[in-house]
Amino acid sequence: MRRFLAGMTAMVLAGSLAACGSSDDASGTDGVDAVKVGVIPIIDVAPIYLGQKQGFFKSRNIELTLESGQGGAAIVPGVVSGQFQFGFSNLTSLMIAQTKNVPIKAVAAGVASTGQDGADFGGVVVKADSPIKTAADLAGKKISVNTLKNIGDTVVRESVRKKGGDPKDIAFVEMPFPNMPAALAEGQIDAAWVVEPQLSTIKAAGGRVVASTFVDAAPNLTVAAYFASTKLVQEDADLVKRFTEAINESLTYADAHPDEVREVLGSYTKIDEKLRASLILPKWPVEINEASVQKLAELGNTDGIFTGSPDLAELLP
Amino acid sequence: MTRFRPVLLGAAGLAGLLLVIELAPRTGLVDERFLPPASRILAALAREAGSPAFWAALGDTLVAWALGLAVAAGAGVLAGLVIGSVPALRALTASTVEFLRPIPSVALIPLAVLLYGTGLGSTLMLVCYAAFWQVLVQVLYGVADVDPVAFETARSFRFSPWARVRYVLWPTALPYVFTGVRLAASVALVLAITAELVIGSPGLGKEIAVAQASEAVPAMYALIVVTGLLGVVINVAARFSERRFLAWHQSVRGEI
Amino acid sequence: MSFMRKIGYAVGLPLILFGLWFVLSSGSESFYAPPLGTILTAFGDTWTWPAIRADVLPSLLRLAAGYLLAAVVGVTLGVAIGLDRRLRATVEPVLEFFRAVPPPVLVPVIMLFAGIGDAMKVIVIVFGCVWPILLNTVEGVRAVDSVQLETARAYGVTGPARITRVILPSASPQIAAGLRQALSIAIILMVISEMFAASNGLGFTIVQFQRSFAIPEMWSGIILLGLLGFGLSLLFRLAERRALRWYEGLRAAQRTR
Repeated sequence: MRRFLAGMTAMVLAGSLAACGSSDDASGTDGVDAVKVGVIPIIDVAPIYLGQKQGFFKSRNIELTLESGQGGAAIVPGVVSGQFQFGFSNLTSLMIAQTKNVPIKAVAAGVASTGQDGADFGGVVVKADSPIKTAADLAGKKISVNTLKNIGDTVVRESVRKKGGDPKDIAFVEMPFPNMPAALAEGQIDAAWVVEPQLSTIKAAGGRVVASTFVDAAPNLTVAAYFASTKLVQEDADLVKRFTEAINESLTYADAHPDEVREVLGSYTKIDEKLRASLILPKWPVEINEASVQKLAELGNTDGIFTGSPDLAELLP
Repeated sequence: MTRFRPVLLGAAGLAGLLLVIELAPRTGLVDERFLPPASRILAALAREAGSPAFWAALGDTLVAWALGLAVAAGAGVLAGLVIGSVPALRALTASTVEFLRPIPSVALIPLAVLLYGTGLGSTLMLVCYAAFWQVLVQVLYGVADVDPVAFETARSFRFSPWARVRYVLWPTALPYVFTGVRLAASVALVLAITAELVIGSPGLGKEIAVAQASEAVPAMYALIVVTGLLGVVINVAARFSERRFLAWHQSVRGEI
Repeated sequence: MSFMRKIGYAVGLPLILFGLWFVLSSGSESFYAPPLGTILTAFGDTWTWPAIRADVLPSLLRLAAGYLLAAVVGVTLGVAIGLDRRLRATVEPVLEFFRAVPPPVLVPVIMLFAGIGDAMKVIVIVFGCVWPILLNTVEGVRAVDSVQLETARAYGVTGPARITRVILPSASPQIAAGLRQALSIAIILMVISEMFAASNGLGFTIVQFQRSFAIPEMWSGIILLGLLGFGLSLLFRLAERRALRWYEGLRAAQRTR
């Protein structure tokens, strides 16, 4: 089928594309592995950029190329088809993929909540003069999330439940994070579920955080992870092991050097210096907090995000 | 009309647009945090122009655009002439063309990523796919517009099939080809930037996405302005070549 | 050409292609390219009547609104711009500027003015598909035969009659070409507009399927989109043939002569 589609495409394009773009990867002659990682150019992946700069990958014979993709829709297919060896995605997406039998497996922790209520890197915000005071007031309101039926709406529902509200009638609206500050200011939505840097922008405009959703969902929630295709995990365990070690060293380094994180952000994002200084950085522990992922899975089940139950033993390393 | 009048008028039109964008935020019509005044956008543009990353991105976008357009135009003209001049082929492919054409290129993104990752290849595939139909449809219209009398005349004078294409079909279809390529040129640009934006392959589109995600609003608009200006430049170039090559045609003749 | 033969021509190639697809994909193990059989099963399960009413109908209504609005705006502006050389010179760079800006990046700006409701989506559609109509109308008006125009003038045909009786009919084949191109662009824009702040719609549903890794369902949505485009284009062709009967007649007459 793939070959047929490729053939059809090639036919439509008069065969002229066939030669372009196909990536030939795999190891070079000197034992150095060329590795492509699909990442979303946001704050969460700062450690891998930092680790690349610090030579944590090179010292393990990994020639790292970071390719940016806009969200899982572009990264997961790339990993499954072998265009990328590794990718970055939030855990709810990974669990959704797993329930659909997408052949992927998490190999390292990605990013985690700070665990501090009111001082996390993501949450629900409202305008300064909003009548919404606590998460319970969010019941029946119009709230924006970046992706429907994903991590955003489950954790928002959990925050509302925890404060005794009924999440049933919340109207979730999907829009990209960058559009949320304007939509909130114009009153097109009652509240926005955002992460940094939009969180800081909204707070600077007088917005209030009414729920630290990741904190409400589970203590020290692991939000995202690096993953590979199961094929790679089986066939090149050594490469996966070296990659995981390099990522772990990067995560630890990033956690210990927040100033360098803020600096490296300037290299792959356009966040200005002032905003970079005010950001709440996430935590980058090396362990995937399994209890928190379990909780995330239960929330997903409760809210009907999955078609089956995710098999965490299969998904997590 | 003197030669420079149209240029002046065009500049006046653009200046008017700038004025509106400058005044709307200043008068509070829109919040300037979300649509900054033109002067701030231009300042951000100047800053962007000073960074090598911007020029690299511009280069990536232009390469994807030019390659994609060249492939799509070549394939579109060839397929259009062949399909258009053989009635049976035309009837046979009409439904397939109509079926494939409206499939939005954005729906092909997973396929593009599967085949080419997030590099230049996936952008190219989307650009070619979208631009190809623009050319093809115009060429088909053009071939259908061939004066049957002229064609029959050529046939009765025993023009070879090649000569019929060269001296009857091609001149009639040429204005349509130009319109098609001109349309395809801008569609290709839009698609190149959209693909970069949505997939994240290198280029202006990715820079726009990064600026958006970084809350760098003036920089985002500055990049949007660049895409718009690119479009203007491309159109001017297309018009110029059209005028050069189609000086004999009615739609151009009225100009001179 | 007989009716049956026409049908045969229309379905022949698609049937062959689908057949090939079916056979070649039947053993597919690839996650993102499931067998066509699976996709067709998903098609039946997914696009039931309630789903069509909930997701396809709103899309179609927005599409119709956007397309018709774009047609009116495009033809009106196109005639005005095509007739006035100075106006054309003034606005052309501005129009070109906006045409080159990809609609997805303009959505946030449109949202500032039009909110996040249906109006925003309709405007996005208009913004994307007005260009081929406008451009073709301008070209068509420019290409009106000067002899014809002079003749009309000599007979005292001026004002609105000049536009409706001489210019529009003469430009109509080209306008039709523009409208036809705009139709497929409108469908693309329908999908793009539903990627922002939507809660229903065909494009929205396809993106959701893609994100939730419901790949057979996603393919079934793409097929439905293709079918939809095909159906709309068929409708368009019928309308075009009615409206341009004189033109086809002229061509046919020239052919038989």
